[in-house]
Amino acid sequence: MNIALITESIATLLGGVVLTLELTILSLLIGFVLSVPLAFLRASRSPWLSWPVLAYTYVFRGTPLLVQLFLIYYGLGQLAVVRESVLWLLFRDPFYCALLAFSLNSAAYTIEVFRGGIQSVPPGLVEAAQAIGLSPTKIRLRIVFPLAFRTVLPSYANEVVGMIKASSLASTVTLLEITGLARKLVSETFAPYEVFVAAGAIYLALTFLASRLFNLIELHLAGVPPDKARRPWLLKLRQAR
Amino acid sequence: MQTAIDLHSDAPHRGPAVATASLRAENVHKTLGTHPVLRGVSLAAYPHEVISVLGASGSGKSTLLRCLNLLEVPDSGDIWFRNEKLDIRPAAGRDGARIGDARQARRVRASLGMVFQSFNLWPHKTALENVMEGPVHVRGLARRTAVECAKHYLRKVGLIERRDHYPRHLSGGQQQRVAIARALAMEPEVLLFDEPTSALDPELTGEVLRTIRSLAEEGRTMILVTHELSFAREVSSRVAFMQGGRIEEEGPPEEVLSRPASAGLRRFLDPAC
Amino acid sequence: MGGFQEQFLRGLETTVLVAAISGAFGMLVGLAGAAAKLSRFRALRMIADAYTTIVRGVPELLVILLVYFGGTTALTALVGSYVEVSALWAGVFSLTVVFGAYATEIFRGAIQAIPRGQTEAALSIGLAPWQTWLLVILPQMARIALPALCNLWISLLKDTSLISIVGLSDIMRIAVVGAGSMRDPLTFYLAASALYLMLTSVSLLTFRLVERRLLAPVH
Repeated sequence: MNIALITESIATLLGGVVLTLELTILSLLIGFVLSVPLAFLRASRSPWLSWPVLAYTYVFRGTPLLVQLFLIYYGLGQLAVVRESVLWLLFRDPFYCALLAFSLNSAAYTIEVFRGGIQSVPPGLVEAAQAIGLSPTKIRLRIVFPLAFRTVLPSYANEVVGMIKASSLASTVTLLEITGLARKLVSETFAPYEVFVAAGAIYLALTFLASRLFNLIELHLAGVPPDKARRPWLLKLRQAR
Repeated sequence: MQTAIDLHSDAPHRGPAVATASLRAENVHKTLGTHPVLRGVSLAAYPHEVISVLGASGSGKSTLLRCLNLLEVPDSGDIWFRNEKLDIRPAAGRDGARIGDARQARRVRASLGMVFQSFNLWPHKTALENVMEGPVHVRGLARRTAVECAKHYLRKVGLIERRDHYPRHLSGGQQQRVAIARALAMEPEVLLFDEPTSALDPELTGEVLRTIRSLAEEGRTMILVTHELSFAREVSSRVAFMQGGRIEEEGPPEEVLSRPASAGLRRFLDPAC
Repeated sequence: MGGFQEQFLRGLETTVLVAAISGAFGMLVGLAGAAAKLSRFRALRMIADAYTTIVRGVPELLVILLVYFGGTTALTALVGSYVEVSALWAGVFSLTVVFGAYATEIFRGAIQAIPRGQTEAALSIGLAPWQTWLLVILPQMARIALPALCNLWISLLKDTSLISIVGLSDIMRIAVVGAGSMRDPLTFYLAASALYLMLTSVSLLTFRLVERRLLAPVH
């Protein structure tokens, strides 16, 4: 194996990091925004609210992301409604197709993660909020969700790492993120080992950083005794906002 | 709306000038699962009264308290807050009832401070934030005012120094006092205590009982579900003894507790006999 | 669908075959990995740690590409003339490596969840260490690990679709070919989705049943 070639490849592939991160972070954000309300519906006791969401998560978690991506990238254009609407400006572009597929997929997993958290919140804490007359929306946003999020943080961290890795599928719809660039580089250099190992190293660094970040958040939320840190930085951030 | 002089038999010891109960349950029935927990309970708390509800576990006293602020919705019967009847409707498609007017329920709950057996402090908020939550998000106070309000009540329960501690760094007794401050910060009409010392180690009950006693001495209207007999005798203006989902005896503590009329209360007071 | 039904059926076979072989080998790798992680030897623990950390931190697609294209280059260099690794075996190898890494963590966690007293009790009645493993640790570990293994198996089923990118004729590949030749991607990818959904549903149901069987005698 050629070490010089690996370092050279890393330098080239770093050009794809921006697109990988863009896809990952945007998908996670959209997935998060979608999943919070849907997770509450999913956790609802009423089957009318819960089952449609279950159907969504079941289908998206039960089929490969690659199929979902191809369905959107190749299939959407087949629908006249899409092709003749403004949406076509977006979904002609592989970037937005990948973004849509990744967001919907990530939302499906995140919904189930959050649902678990929501259902694990002790009912007494909700009753205490009802007893002071807090509105249902505020109870969800200020009491239930923050507590649920804390409980499922390790699982959510896995989802984030999973999304970084899943973004590599964007290379199959011509996007030149890390894996896309790597495949292009291999076809030019015929040095698959060096190039793919280099790509692997970059992914490893990204996933490592992501898990580290979540470890830190977890430690902060687990709470350093207040005499040692009167105000965790996260709270400061929250209050500054 | 009820405006006439209240002649209800449940209020034998109200002062003559007081016409309307702060909080009243009328003929409340409640079945949990298949078990009838409340079988026609009426109870009224008049301003400045301290009512202790006594009874063995399973007698329905906690359920009664939870019905008063609609954490449990009575299957039948009425709950009155001052002269306003709470909107309770039959539930569609199942037995029991549901809250008819969610806004009214919220507004009334905000006027009824509830203290739970297991404290139920929110673990992701500091003591101060726990107490501030209601003032900011229900009463709509400005943050600065709410902080002052929260600090005032934390000082009152003797925990101002612990305001930045999270619940897990507080002892059980301290947590319960924060929970009392949280209820007080809503400046409620009536305080409801659901076995406030039952989850505490014996050496920690004293501090909580002292806090509750000082509230009673301020003349607050309170309904207290408790196992602490001697405490109930000391602070209450009235005690109610519950058994099998009904109020068996009710009256001033010295009368009821010294000369129990029913066999049930006699057994409860002196299990040895 | 113009005769593609039969091809889909063969694709289904391939998908199941690849998943089953990778899953079986992956279980063995996972058991070995867990044993290594819990071993007394530091070197073994470090190797196992490096293995799971690297594999779980890298996209599955990249592992497949590396094994397939890297394997071809290596074999070609070895033999002296162009030899192409079969997509099937490159895929099986890659997914075994991936499955094994996750299975290692699942088994390690499950073994550690078994109270220490269990081993001590087994040794105290005179069972040999290998008997302790076979009769006491493994059965309990299987129960604890089952739900996580079910999820892992479903991931594996779905990950097989990635091998189509290097040419394996699985469900996904048939869908791609059909979508292209019949100019009807919607139908073909929806058909593929339905097949995958059927596989994951059958898997879930089977695991449910097994779980009920396994868990029944405990209580």
